[in-house]
Amino acid sequence: MTALRDILITGLLLGGLFALVSVGLTLQYGVARVLNVAHGEFIMVGAFLTFWLLGSVSLNPLLSLAITGPAAFIVGFILHKTLFRRLMHSSPSLDIFEGRSMLASFGLLYVVQNLARIIWGSDVEGYTFLNSTITGAQIPLNRLVALAFVVVLGGAFYFFLARTRLGKAIRASAQSPSTAQLMGVEINNVLAICFGLGLALAAIAGSLLSTFFAIQTTMGLGYTVIAMVVVVMGGLGSITGAMIGGIILGLVSSTVTFFHPSLTMIAYYVIFIVLLLARPKGIMGK
Amino acid sequence: MLAINGLSASYGNVQVLWDVCLRVDEGEFVALVGANGAGKTTLLNAVSGVMKPVSGSITFMGHRVDGSSPNTIVNLGLSHIPESRQVFTDMSVRENLEMGAYPARAWKDRRATMKRVFGLFPRLEERAGQFARNLSGGEQQMLALGRGLMSLPKMCMIDEPSNGLAPRIVSEIFEILTSLHKEGITILLVEQNVRQTLAIADRAYVLENGHNALDGACCDLVESDHVRKAYLGH
Ligand SMILES: Nc1ncnc2c1ncn2[C@@H]1O[C@H](COP(=O)(O)OP(=O)(O)OP(=O)(O)O)[C@@H](O)[C@H]1O
Ligand SMILES: [Mg+2]
Repeated sequence: MTALRDILITGLLLGGLFALVSVGLTLQYGVARVLNVAHGEFIMVGAFLTFWLLGSVSLNPLLSLAITGPAAFIVGFILHKTLFRRLMHSSPSLDIFEGRSMLASFGLLYVVQNLARIIWGSDVEGYTFLNSTITGAQIPLNRLVALAFVVVLGGAFYFFLARTRLGKAIRASAQSPSTAQLMGVEINNVLAICFGLGLALAAIAGSLLSTFFAIQTTMGLGYTVIAMVVVVMGGLGSITGAMIGGIILGLVSSTVTFFHPSLTMIAYYVIFIVLLLARPKGIMGK
Repeated sequence: MLAINGLSASYGNVQVLWDVCLRVDEGEFVALVGANGAGKTTLLNAVSGVMKPVSGSITFMGHRVDGSSPNTIVNLGLSHIPESRQVFTDMSVRENLEMGAYPARAWKDRRATMKRVFGLFPRLEERAGQFARNLSGGEQQMLALGRGLMSLPKMCMIDEPSNGLAPRIVSEIFEILTSLHKEGITILLVEQNVRQTLAIADRAYVLENGHNALDGACCDLVESDHVRKAYLGH
């Protein structure tokens, strides 16, 4: 029973984090058309910034979310307004832009990862946070707190997309950028905002992750791969699909890791292939 | 209200509009007709800023708008209701209408405007909570029209609203266009349904292979041999 409970809690926590990260990638790919290979690097940057802020100014890791998220947003917004927007205007078609922007994001991956390595080295790092267990149970408090944060942040983001004027403009732009433009949406701003929000979600997930996992400057790519698997599994461009897909993969991850940690990666691909055989266009694909 | 002069437009190296001129005065109901591929949609896209023209000028309410971004043009009060409806299929009917009210000046009045739109299209009110993808073709066209009205436009450009709809629904749509015009909205209607269009519009332009072919009052055009042969089938 307790094993089941632990698997469930860790699964939901990882699932929630995968969902945040994958929704971030969906905003970048589904709306802004940038298949951002460097996405996971911003998880790493979020994690290390939190680690560094704790060590240097003793900032509570949960409070550092309020810094890592907005900082990543600003970086993403500026990157889109300068680099990706220029690429978009110089590309003759959207397909060519997708190819070029992916190559550019490969460049970004190396720049970010190497800068991080210069600053933080390549050792495994970590810190202990809320390292107590709830009385009578084995669940570490830090995981429960992180889970609560993921649920609240995910809920808030969902509300933003579902109810606000900007959120609706983002969803409309995901379905048809040209029609959204006819409605008066300033598409270049919306695309830059989506790219920034994508990075912000990655950085926030990284900050939360550092409260219970060890971190390393090479950790990013693994998460990028997970996010890509989730985005395809959920149905390209579907935000709801990315949320559901993330939670499924998180539960798979905690279950398989509990029994046989070395099979986790394989389990991802098995689930991925089975789901795509059953629903070739993804969970929410049409 | 809208003046287009010497407009040329192309896709890559392929030119599709050649020196096209068109004028719509305030309060008029003007039609633009022509065969498939004549360049009607391209013309509307150039006016609404979705596509940048190669040369020529477009003036709306005294402002030069060629080369302006679509949001500037919607903000000036020109609404483009696109070909094949283009409703946001994964959003509810209500959300589609809200998107129509996206310009800041329309957003604050969106509830009142939506009431008016529901008055015009009662069926949209019945389906307000449904996803747009579950609407019939006729209902989607009504949604596209309603959405286009949500920005409180002074003028609407409407691209083939009758396309693919049953004759009964087409008549309904045309009646709604007539009543919008009576309410004071200036209309530029693109249609292939030439007979019905010439019956409700004031003036019409005929576009052939990207060139101005004919224009004039609708009552004169229906009598013209060329129009009768090429567009009315006798
Ligand atoms: N995106 C595009 N890329 C390349 N060529 C295009 C594109 N859109 C239209 N064309 C071409 O431009 C010409 C004019 O097309 P347009 O859509 O403006 O015609 P139309 O009068 O609206 O036709 P229809 O009545 O079929 O809607 C056609 O020859 C068409 O093939
Ligand atoms: Mg057309």
